[in-house]
Amino acid sequence: MNDIIQNILVFTSVGIAVYFLLKKFVIPAKATKSCGHDDCGCH
Amino acid sequence: MSKQIKVALIGNPNTGKTSVFNSLTGLNQQVGNYPGITVERKAGVCKLPKGVKAHILDLPGTYSLNASSLDESVVIELLLNANDKDYPDVAVVVTDVENLKRNLLLFTQIKDLNIPSILVINMSDRMRKKGISLDIEHLEAELKTKVALTSTRKNEGIDLLKNLISNYKSLSTDACLDISQIESSYFGNLQRIFPNQQLYKLWLVITQDVNFGQVTKKKIDALSDFKVKSDTKLKRLQQKETIKRYQFINAVLKKGKTVDLNAATDLRIKLDRILTHKVWGYVIFFSLLMLIFQAIYDWAQYPMDFIDETFAALSELVKTTLPAGVFTDLIAEGIIPGLGGVVIFIPQIAFLFLFIAILEESGYMSRVVFLMDKLMRRFGLSGKSVVPLISGTACAIPAVMATRNIEGWKERLITILVTPFTTCSARLPVYLIIIALVIPEGSFLGLSYQALMLMFLYLLGFGMAVGSAYILHKVLKIRSKSFFLIEMPDYKVPQFKNVGITVVEKTKAFVFGAGQIILAISIILWFLASYGPGDDFNKAEEIVTENLSSLELSEEELNQRIASYQLEHSYIGIAGRSIEPVIQPLGYDWKIGIAIITSFAAREVFVGTLATIYSVESEEGEPIKEKMRGERNAKLGVPRYNLASGMSLLLFYAFAMQCMSTLAIVKRETNSWKWPMYQLVVMTSIAYLAALIAYQTLI
Repeated sequence: MNDIIQNILVFTSVGIAVYFLLKKFVIPAKATKSCGHDDCGCH
Repeated sequence: MSKQIKVALIGNPNTGKTSVFNSLTGLNQQVGNYPGITVERKAGVCKLPKGVKAHILDLPGTYSLNASSLDESVVIELLLNANDKDYPDVAVVVTDVENLKRNLLLFTQIKDLNIPSILVINMSDRMRKKGISLDIEHLEAELKTKVALTSTRKNEGIDLLKNLISNYKSLSTDACLDISQIESSYFGNLQRIFPNQQLYKLWLVITQDVNFGQVTKKKIDALSDFKVKSDTKLKRLQQKETIKRYQFINAVLKKGKTVDLNAATDLRIKLDRILTHKVWGYVIFFSLLMLIFQAIYDWAQYPMDFIDETFAALSELVKTTLPAGVFTDLIAEGIIPGLGGVVIFIPQIAFLFLFIAILEESGYMSRVVFLMDKLMRRFGLSGKSVVPLISGTACAIPAVMATRNIEGWKERLITILVTPFTTCSARLPVYLIIIALVIPEGSFLGLSYQALMLMFLYLLGFGMAVGSAYILHKVLKIRSKSFFLIEMPDYKVPQFKNVGITVVEKTKAFVFGAGQIILAISIILWFLASYGPGDDFNKAEEIVTENLSSLELSEEELNQRIASYQLEHSYIGIAGRSIEPVIQPLGYDWKIGIAIITSFAAREVFVGTLATIYSVESEEGEPIKEKMRGERNAKLGVPRYNLASGMSLLLFYAFAMQCMSTLAIVKRETNSWKWPMYQLVVMTSIAYLAALIAYQTLI
């Protein structure tokens, strides 16, 4: 049971991470957003 | 009955006008409001020689007769309306000796209204300190006026001013500027329609929409034989007027005011003379840089060690307390080491921004920009290119955007193209960890080799930017012109609050901006390193145990061999080994290759990636630096991170265009993929070549 839950959590985390990176770098954003007061979002 | 005259005291804000008013009137003042508006009206009485009584009106401070506020409108309304009960017999225009040029703009405008005007040059007590000398006779002759040199602080020149006021009838009412020079046909036509009106007053009626007597803007607009100009054209004529006035003022002050910086004893001028000196200026700047880099290393060492050990301990804690399984491994071997690879650099980045903020707050940074301007021009860059190049030390993105205020397209394009060479904060983690591994800990003249190396890398980036700019300047066939204007702020003690806010903002942007990407990449990397296809990965334990059965290995050694074999045959291992032929000549193995690829998202991901890869491979909770130090080049039998491979990596990161976001912003700013692609290809080629030469020479 523990193994199944841990595997689900791993695959969910990986899915979220891939989605986040795709959204940040591949899927074009509608509006330009900066990541801080005077920073750039490049980090 | 004694003779009474009306005096208007006019001047730019902060010229000491109110001090002159107080000196003239003493306690004989009345303070109220102008009718109908909440603008303060200050009036007072001053007794002049020969029993003359002057009613002095202290008008609101204004920069020119082109009103942009209610206060300024009050001044214009009064000066245009001869029927106003306060309309002055004489205008006393107060100026500040240090800002005479700017202050004289208003004086020439008032003179052009044919009002008898006296020029008060105030704060004369600062002249000696500032090395200023004035040719009063010349100024009086050219400005067709009388000058009172005053110092309200020392109560000097006030009696002279009183005398001048009482003799106002002897003052010339001639104008300084013939307004029709601006556009002869337009003003000729205006004068033809209103032959009895003063031309400059008519011009103010048109541009300021103020009235005098029977002439109103409405009336002028309604004239069938006078062509009304659009607001844009009127603005353009106003600009021409301002330019003409400054040309006149410049010509007057060329002989009328001289500043001898060598004679100056003022602290600001003294400091400026040294800090912007063509030799000492650079010596001081580079000495400061060296001190900063030294301090970054010395002061940040303890918190960095603490963070490193804390993250290593946290990984161990997670492993021992959470139930065993893949998700626990993901946290302990993927997420925590990955994030630790970023957090560890907070102290050094905070110190760097602390120093930059102090230099900016103190007013020194403006002197650096001014100093560097002289250098920049030799390389075909605009003076304004200095700002993007310096702000590029934080991040290339805002730096590229900061090029927008460079007027000339050629200079702007060159600045955009070379700015990514300057060492941004994202390179810092890569530099710091590699330097710590390959540069010895000794010192030279009290400065550690490691700090000197870091400074060398900063200078290398800046030098590369400037050198490339020179080549691009010669290669690009684009014609354009630019100029450089910077206002030098006064020196001041930096405000703790401002410095603190800057440091927190910048560090937060680094940690949270980078942190999100590194967290995501760490999770994916751990997954790719912990899973793999085929028997080589899934039956790694059996294969390694069988292959090494003849050797007498401890359990720990055997586990290490199994983990390495498994990693090599994981998804990431397969991908890494496929690019190994390309990166091997640079001294890198597949693990470094993977870190280079992932750091294309952001350079600092390099450290996080290696932290994750080495954590998957090693069961021990060692700090990342120790893991990297322990890595060996199996073929050569030397440490993986030695001087040759370390220098190769440092040079690669100094020159390579390893930032997707910078490419995107360059595309946006140049409106074409041509320039970012050019940057990517050229910079990566230079980086590869430099790394190759470094490794092959030093190995």
